[in-house]
Amino acid sequence: MTFNAVGQKIPKKDAPLKVTGQALYIDDLELPGMLYGKILFSKYPHARILNIDTSKAERLPGVKAVVTAKDFPPNFRIGFMKDNPPLKGNKVLSTRDEIAAVCAISPEIAEEACELIDVDYEVLPGVFDPITAMREDAPILHEELGSNVLKLPWKLVCGDVEKGKSESKYIVEDTFTTQWVTHCCMATSGCIAHFDINNNLTLYSNTQIPSLAQNDFLEALNALGLKNRRVRIIQVTIGGAFGSKLDTYPYEYIAILLALKTRKPVKIVFSRDEEFFATSPRQCTITKISQGCTKEGKLTFREVEMILDNGAYTSWGATTPSVMMMPISSLYRVPNVKYEAKCVYTNNTYCQAMRGYGNPQATFAIESSLDHLAEVSGIDPYDLRMINANQPGEITPQGFKITTCGLKECLEEVAKRLNWREKRGKGGGKRGVGMASLIHVGGGARVYKSDGCGTIIKMDDFGKVDVFTGATDIGQGADTVIAQIVAEELGIPVEDVNVIHNDTDVCPWDVGVHASRTTFVAGNSALYAARKIKARLTEIVSKILEIPQEDVEIRNGIAFSKSDPQKSIPVARAIRRAHFTTGGSMLMAEHFYDPNNENLGKDFKGNLSTAYTYGTHGVEVEVDTETGKVKILKYVAAHDIGRAINPLLLEGQIEGGALMGIGFALSERLIYQNGYLKNGNFLDYKILTVRDAVPVETVIIETDEKEGPYGAKGIGEPGLVPSAPAIANAIYDAIGVRIKDLPITPEKILKALKEKAGTGNKA
Amino acid sequence: MKKFDYHIPKSLEEALSLFKSLENAKYIAGGTDVLVNIKRKKESPSHLISLRNIDSLKVVEKKDGLKIGSCLIHQELLKIEEIRTYYSALYDALTKLGSKQIRNVATIGGNICNAAPSADTACPLLVLDAQVVIFGEKGTRMVPIDDFFEGPGTVAKEESEIVTSFELPSFPKYTGSAYIKHTRREAMDLAMVSAASRITFAAEDQSLLRDFLSSKGVEELDKELKNYPLFVKEARIALGVVAPRPFRAKKAESCLEGKFLNEETLREACEKAAEEAQPRDTIRGEAWYRREMVKVLTKRTILLSVKRAIEMCS
Ligand SMILES: Cc1cc2nc3c(=O)[nH]c(=O)nc-3n(C[C@H](O)[C@H](O)[C@H](O)COP(=O)(O)OP(=O)(O)OC[C@H]3O[C@@H](n4cnc5c(N)ncnc54)[C@H](O)[C@@H]3O)c2cc1C
Repeated sequence: MTFNAVGQKIPKKDAPLKVTGQALYIDDLELPGMLYGKILFSKYPHARILNIDTSKAERLPGVKAVVTAKDFPPNFRIGFMKDNPPLKGNKVLSTRDEIAAVCAISPEIAEEACELIDVDYEVLPGVFDPITAMREDAPILHEELGSNVLKLPWKLVCGDVEKGKSESKYIVEDTFTTQWVTHCCMATSGCIAHFDINNNLTLYSNTQIPSLAQNDFLEALNALGLKNRRVRIIQVTIGGAFGSKLDTYPYEYIAILLALKTRKPVKIVFSRDEEFFATSPRQCTITKISQGCTKEGKLTFREVEMILDNGAYTSWGATTPSVMMMPISSLYRVPNVKYEAKCVYTNNTYCQAMRGYGNPQATFAIESSLDHLAEVSGIDPYDLRMINANQPGEITPQGFKITTCGLKECLEEVAKRLNWREKRGKGGGKRGVGMASLIHVGGGARVYKSDGCGTIIKMDDFGKVDVFTGATDIGQGADTVIAQIVAEELGIPVEDVNVIHNDTDVCPWDVGVHASRTTFVAGNSALYAARKIKARLTEIVSKILEIPQEDVEIRNGIAFSKSDPQKSIPVARAIRRAHFTTGGSMLMAEHFYDPNNENLGKDFKGNLSTAYTYGTHGVEVEVDTETGKVKILKYVAAHDIGRAINPLLLEGQIEGGALMGIGFALSERLIYQNGYLKNGNFLDYKILTVRDAVPVETVIIETDEKEGPYGAKGIGEPGLVPSAPAIANAIYDAIGVRIKDLPITPEKILKALKEKAGTGNKA
Repeated sequence: MKKFDYHIPKSLEEALSLFKSLENAKYIAGGTDVLVNIKRKKESPSHLISLRNIDSLKVVEKKDGLKIGSCLIHQELLKIEEIRTYYSALYDALTKLGSKQIRNVATIGGNICNAAPSADTACPLLVLDAQVVIFGEKGTRMVPIDDFFEGPGTVAKEESEIVTSFELPSFPKYTGSAYIKHTRREAMDLAMVSAASRITFAAEDQSLLRDFLSSKGVEELDKELKNYPLFVKEARIALGVVAPRPFRAKKAESCLEGKFLNEETLREACEKAAEEAQPRDTIRGEAWYRREMVKVLTKRTILLSVKRAIEMCS
């Protein structure tokens, strides 16, 4: 198959705007009469609020409104478990709890006013780790629930793990832990809320879920007594999201409340400090895993128990165990699987979705443990992976129907490029190689009632196309990829396709940009809508050129007869002919694409996605055994993505993912001590800089997914999933110590080396 | 951020008299420390007096050593060939300070006057025996840099006094110096621990050094020390982040000074340096690890200094 627009390395459409500073982010946006909101956060991680005195703040000149919990309806709660009041009136459960908010004519006045609010607290004992929080005598955060363990019974059982154990020649068991990491979006969170004269709400936002957010805010308006209103979400340029904006948050409801009170647009934009402590990081996990294999290396079982620190409230992120099940049950062929997870309330920050949605934490445990199993069984880790690699056509224990699967090819490419056979185990105590693989959803993921996305297309008199998509562009390139798909289908230049993706008043419904689903789902939606327009267009052309409709082809904006290319007409002219005639018509079409995937059942089984992506990362490291520092010498990332619609953006996703994965593996962590964030700034939160960036060698494996748009599968998240275990495995190969607790800091390495040397002396 | 007035004097005298006449005033050079502090509400001056337009603070004089003005930005200093060649420790530090954006506005005077235990140019200036030249009401005075640092953020000068320049002596040819900054990231990071050292050999050893270089090459340095009894005439070792101020590990220095450099004296110096350090547990690093790193960095900077000294004699 040859393509025109698909497969082209087209730079992201809005790149020139971004690099010249013309793109408008929420912070840039100013509306007439706009006020600035600011939130007062709790001083303590756990306390009863005895009194809030806002009188001084109210008297400060320039302050237009001050709100507290009293201004919301008494039982109004938000979040996945409806456990989070946007403003807290009785108790605070974390240091990011919102107590009051003000809006004023300038950000400075708003800030000063916040400092003038007096709050009396009765400090309560806090609980800062999930193990302690599960103890009988632990303070209960949500007293009405009676327990700190969330009522989310994550449990998956496939086959018979006990039988698997009895069939095992080798069994390993380990415990792995992961840390809080945060998204570090370049643009901080924020919104502007504005009511019109009829109390309809417009929210300028950087949400990843415009349609679901619209729903949430409608609920809020209802609760505030504004029945039957409209909510319009306008998305500005989104400066990164990575899952952080996959929910609605107290600050948005607070902005809405302040706007309603003042009848003015109210903007709340987080400072970088606030972005660090008042947004929701990736959940930290404690994972006990054991797996076994036969003498020949066939996996026999995998058993995983996990505890997640949920933090004080519950967002969508509490459902990450449902995604962790995917690698646990279906990464490599393993017949018997058992997984149980508990999410536990603590007085820490509450967690949320972050790129990979639990998959990186689970894969760290699985792939580290697999290397351990390889060692115990005396089988080379690469061979062990090849023996158990997934294959096209299989149905996994969880019920995933694997269509295309390029895992073996990915493994082979990585082994070849790392020079695996020559390097493995021969690094002289300093250098080592390691690898790890991943599975992820690549054809949507049915986590909501619908996994759909709508598209409306119109073609104007000049042959140009406007595509109104439900998709959201958070920087990943939906704007560009959708244009390429539509251009390909219609036979017109990519520049002629304008993608509108930022306004719920004109764009159709979409479940949100998550689960690496946009190219697949929104791409298919756009493709089918384009196909409908094309049918109309070829019909028009066939009449004008007096040729059969099947004989019409369109290329580069010209329609012509396939059998007699002399017969041709520019598309634009054909459209005008159809338009400017009595009883004329215009070219418009719509399509709603909802993939044929399934919600997981009560037993958490079902075909979650229409297609699955695979990949393998391989790393060569050098460890400085005096300092414990790790240097990455080579990084190979091979991914089966079905088809590369835009190789440039694809590589960008993989490289960016890998870098985020390296940070997760080696340097990034939010340090919370007794509920307080200690390193909420870019100096002490060690996100990697461009100087730390290692060249990532990307390998693209195209398996041509039948259901995907032009064969494509998703790639937004996979790039960071296997980084940490690949690096940990390489470090083990280099120096013979396995770090099971992320991030793998120089301290941990040096300590482990010293311990190893210590036991060596005794022996 | 709290509001302040901004003043742009053209001369030292004008700056000083502004400082004297204004309430709650503060000098500002590049502002990369001052403005961060104001934003973080650590200080709130009403007046900022900029030193950036005073030409005399940007001098570079190259006779009998090197004199560098306090208001030179790090990126300018990097271009001075003499720093790279004769004051390598300082050069090492400049390449690792912040990022290019920071180096393009931040000054060496600001780095030293801010006196953070992690200030990157501090340890190099300590091992290079820098003199701090200070201008005040009573005229100009000189203070050895070792006496200038008092504690975190405090230096031995009146608030109104202005540091005008740093004077570095000229060292014998058979001298080498080095600085190593131990960080978690390659840029935009403060040191977890840092160390600088300078080694000056005896003049008589020159031929030995040359000999060593021609027969072995400096890569073999570690192993070859015992075969080449190099006499250390002067040794300087300075450590950052492991005490309230950047300091000279003088006991460690004396393990080497006036002695032959060999595996044993080297190890002793490293051990002593680790003893002299008073590292703390903070979110930036654990004390035990920092102490370990003092040993490693001390050794590495000394070996690098030796290597450079040898290369100077080639
Ligand atoms: C993002 C970032 C990264 C950084 N990274 C590093 C790093 O890696 N290593 C490091 O060491 N530092 C780092 N810093 C700190 C800072 O950049 C340096 O200390 C810098 O050299 C300060 O110089 P300045 O000219 O900006 O000082 P200013 O902020 O202008 O002044 C600092 C202090 O010195 C006083 N002062 C300045 N000049 C004089 C003078 N001539 N006489 C008397 N007093 C004076 C001021 O009153 C003030 O108290 C970083 C800062 C930032 C913001």
